[in-house]
Amino acid sequence: MDETVAEYIRRTVLKMPRDEIKMMLQKWGFLSEAQLQTLNFHQQKDNISQEVVQLCEVNPLNSYFFLDNHIYQNKRMWSVYQMKKSGEEEEYFDIADFKKKFKGRIRSALKNVTITFKEYEDNAIWIRVAWGTPHKKPNQYKPSYVVYHSQTPYVFISASVLKSNLPLLCQALIVASNYRDIREMELRSHSLNSLKDIVFKRYSQNFQTYSPKPVQGWNVEAENADRRIVHENRSVKERIHRLNQESFGCGPQPKLEFAQYRLDTMFKSDPKMDVLDKKEPFRCLVKFSSPHLLESLKSLAPLGMADAPLSPLLTCITHKARNYFKIREKKESFVSP
Amino acid sequence: MAARRGPARGPTGARFERRRRAAAAMAEEPPEDGAARTLPSLRQLSRGLFNLIPSVLFPPQENLDAQKTAFVLRKAWTLYSVTPLYGFRRGCLRDYARLLSAFIAAEKQKGLAVEVGVELDIKVALSSLADLRGSELDQAGLLVQLSSRSRASSRNSEDKLLWSGWFCSMFGDDLSENVPENFTCLPLFLTHGAESYTALVGSWFQKTFDCCFRRLAISPLNLSWMVAMWAGYKLERAASAVELVFSMPRLSHPLDISYAIHPEDAKALWDTVQKTPGEITQGEVAIFMDCLYAHFHRHFKIHLSAAKLVKVSTGIASAHCDGIVKILHSQYLPGVLMLLTELAISQIQ
Repeated sequence: MDETVAEYIRRTVLKMPRDEIKMMLQKWGFLSEAQLQTLNFHQQKDNISQEVVQLCEVNPLNSYFFLDNHIYQNKRMWSVYQMKKSGEEEEYFDIADFKKKFKGRIRSALKNVTITFKEYEDNAIWIRVAWGTPHKKPNQYKPSYVVYHSQTPYVFISASVLKSNLPLLCQALIVASNYRDIREMELRSHSLNSLKDIVFKRYSQNFQTYSPKPVQGWNVEAENADRRIVHENRSVKERIHRLNQESFGCGPQPKLEFAQYRLDTMFKSDPKMDVLDKKEPFRCLVKFSSPHLLESLKSLAPLGMADAPLSPLLTCITHKARNYFKIREKKESFVSP
Repeated sequence: MAARRGPARGPTGARFERRRRAAAAMAEEPPEDGAARTLPSLRQLSRGLFNLIPSVLFPPQENLDAQKTAFVLRKAWTLYSVTPLYGFRRGCLRDYARLLSAFIAAEKQKGLAVEVGVELDIKVALSSLADLRGSELDQAGLLVQLSSRSRASSRNSEDKLLWSGWFCSMFGDDLSENVPENFTCLPLFLTHGAESYTALVGSWFQKTFDCCFRRLAISPLNLSWMVAMWAGYKLERAASAVELVFSMPRLSHPLDISYAIHPEDAKALWDTVQKTPGEITQGEVAIFMDCLYAHFHRHFKIHLSAAKLVKVSTGIASAHCDGIVKILHSQYLPGVLMLLTELAISQIQ
């Protein structure tokens, strides 16, 4: 086994929290259950990692590079790309052909790369690329990850720090998948599953429903409301709840951590206040962040911190599949290009 | 909200016109050489600003040796208010340094070690900052520095600065006027470095000079004063955005909102709000904030006024509600320190 690979495995195991090592090795799936049984998890981490390296050397497979995938699961920033097809023909997807073309395109530009593939049950193909330079071996500690669902035109990329390799990566993807073009969507998050939910429309969407009476047993109280207040403003609360449902839908929201708006709109004020009346836009950059942004926004109106319905700039995030916006003024409403 | 003509009240409610005028006066005048400066008008002086006359003739910016005050800039300082020091003698700085050094060594012996691992010799230096004061009535600033020289290395090695803290009074006459002899007023204390060193230095000063330190939190109201004032200052080069950070911590999923405005646009807005030259009123600050809230609400339908303002940041300086500031521009250092001195004094009184 290559010296650098052994070192990579050793260092990666050392980074794992002690009580999670066994679980992560199992998820990794590279070592067999029998091999895992032979490991003593109660010794020093140094020794555990040495034993893991020794076991790996015995294995003929080379997908050991996905070991670091589970550690940084939620720390990686994922971007979404959409590919465009050249024609209408539905071609049969051949995974072997895809891999060959992908590797070929990248290797034709860069010799020092490590490319590994892994297929998962949900039709997701994971590609891990470790980048080097003409004079340096691939850096195994800053790989790029690509997740491609072959039945869809979407690709999820976690580029890592080496952004200069992005164009090559994108090119290799369209060549390998027989698409014509690829563009980055304005959608980013740490949660890959939430991005998939949004783009594959797997969240519960907001449909206009007409309900003349509130559903029985429906709790309209906001989470933090005082439990002693029962009947206050009941109709107002119900109205807010209904409008919130219409904007956000009933089910759980996809998990995003932030949304960013670049505002290039005019500053409008009450003429009586006699303040700024410029003809140029009032330039702002607004960033929302939260461990669970959409649920957070959904809770604002019931708590009185926002009007209901909430602004479409916020409620459109899921169905427009974007969380980066540039807003310009257009007559009476806002547009985002 | 009409702009008031009477004595303006600062964020602490105290009569505040002198300081506001001084701050505004400093803002209006670009830092050219002394001869070209114009003095504030007699109208401003006549309202009992006799204390300011010396500083007007010797404008604070010129007095400030850029090199001596460079240590202040671009560092995050934690703020404290300090009650007047009893029995402090400016001539005894060397003795104090020795005593503080011995105190720190003794505390380490007791097992209250600040640094685990490498044995450190802590060297203490106290010095006066003659330039860091507003008027002749202010005490000169006092700088305390803790450096280390590792015992392992030879005498040739450089001392490493571990911690610095400085006491200061910028136009703090409201406090010093009313204080008996033998008390030294330096109400503002700023620290940079490990909390454990701050505790050591603080407890020595408390024991020696019978004073009291308290963390200086900055309320959302004071933060809004700061951002309004600082947004209005002129900066030659392209400045960073005027940013306000709001927090809604008590939601089931806490929400943070960063609202950053292009500095030219923020200044343009403030210039139309601030009507009286040389004076800033609470009403004007409130209007400025309301404008920002209204612009935000127009887009997002969220009431920013219901959120907590936790941090403001401009090209001049930034301030956090936990009492942490960073000053970026030496030109406006006196103005910022003056505001902070005011806050410290109001916490003491």
